[in-house]
Amino acid sequence: MKEKHIQITGMFLTTLYAVFVVWLYSVEPKSLDEVPTKAQTTIENVTTKTQVAIGTYEVDRAKFNEGLTAFRQDNFIVARDNFEKADTEKRDPKTQFYIAYSFYRQGFGKVSNDDALFKLGLEQMSRVSALDKNFKSDDANLQIKTPVELKNEFEEGLKVTASDFNPLKIFRERK
Amino acid sequence: MSETKHSKLSVKEIEAEELSFIDGELLEIPPAENDTLVGEASTKISLKTKNQKQKTGNQTSYLQYVFLPLIFLTVALLGGLRLSAEDGAFLFLKPALICLIFASVLLVLFFRAGLLKLEGWFSETFSTVQNIANAAILFALFFASTQIFNSLLPERGLPFWVFAFCFLWTLWNNLFVEFQGKRLLQSLGSVFGLAFVSKYLILAYLTAPTGTSWWRGLLENPAQEAFTWLLDLPRFSAGTGYIQFFAVIFYLLGLFLLPSATTKVVR
Repeated sequence: MKEKHIQITGMFLTTLYAVFVVWLYSVEPKSLDEVPTKAQTTIENVTTKTQVAIGTYEVDRAKFNEGLTAFRQDNFIVARDNFEKADTEKRDPKTQFYIAYSFYRQGFGKVSNDDALFKLGLEQMSRVSALDKNFKSDDANLQIKTPVELKNEFEEGLKVTASDFNPLKIFRERK
Repeated sequence: MSETKHSKLSVKEIEAEELSFIDGELLEIPPAENDTLVGEASTKISLKTKNQKQKTGNQTSYLQYVFLPLIFLTVALLGGLRLSAEDGAFLFLKPALICLIFASVLLVLFFRAGLLKLEGWFSETFSTVQNIANAAILFALFFASTQIFNSLLPERGLPFWVFAFCFLWTLWNNLFVEFQGKRLLQSLGSVFGLAFVSKYLILAYLTAPTGTSWWRGLLENPAQEAFTWLLDLPRFSAGTGYIQFFAVIFYLLGLFLLPSATTKVVR
């Protein structure tokens, strides 16, 4: 074998091993059994990031539909989980809007709202606005169609005003 | 006396007379055949020498460009690896900033002591591939040096600062000392050995075992519990010491095998 070939082989092996060591320290597997699982996750992440970089990223339709079904059945925890799995890179405004909407519907209360969920929803709204300022939902089942309206619902829900003590409030409907 | 001298001379004369006669048949070899035989023999010898040289050169190249980086990267892999005391799970500890600083100082020290010669590792006369391959070896060395400090420095608390100060003191002093490569290796071996014994034998002995309640631990091992609390000692499985022992050994072996200069490629 020529010396040049040995040097090239050495460089290749060194790079490969160095990448492996850096990868191990970044994913921190707890045991040897965990290494294949971590490797699979890394490959999936790299694939998604590459798709984003080259502009071929798409939401997982199957997961999105599962999320939508759960959302319509008021099973918001499962819905959010599926929406997050469908849009792992958080790049689809429609999916992110549904996640925010799920916080609203889950946190809505006739007597009082769940402030923790409303705060999470408000944070989520900023993500939707950042992705698409002019976003408008095409879902006929949703009464709130735009991020601005939903944001207003969250902000009003978090405020404590005199109207909160109005007993007729219990007759208001969830949007 | 004169008689013995005379007799010795006469014996010599007789021998000389006998040697002047060469008895035997003359073999006539044609000049062309003779030349071929000599030529073949010399070609065989030169081929043998060339093959031997090539084999030795290949062995050295394999060692430098394949095995050395692998040894150093193995040290880099093992240096930050600890085993949890509870369930023996892997814990990968990233090096502290001070480890990077120590590794940089150590590399400077290698060059100052002549353990590494800059002109022997990077040169305009080398091919680009060789320069890059040499850089990869030195990168692996730096990576391993960082991780060896990560291995030998206690993870936190007062012992971390005490050990770090001792390393800094030693490295800083060595920077201004006229060193020989061999002496530097011996010095590093002893410093690393001492640090290993202090951390993985003495401090590990002072660390209280896990799995018992605080009260029970205090009753059964009051001194260990007190030291663990006072020195903020982390609790690792005993296997950690074994892993780090091999990390130190591999690192020193790598340094021992590291040439001061790489050979120039003859093309």
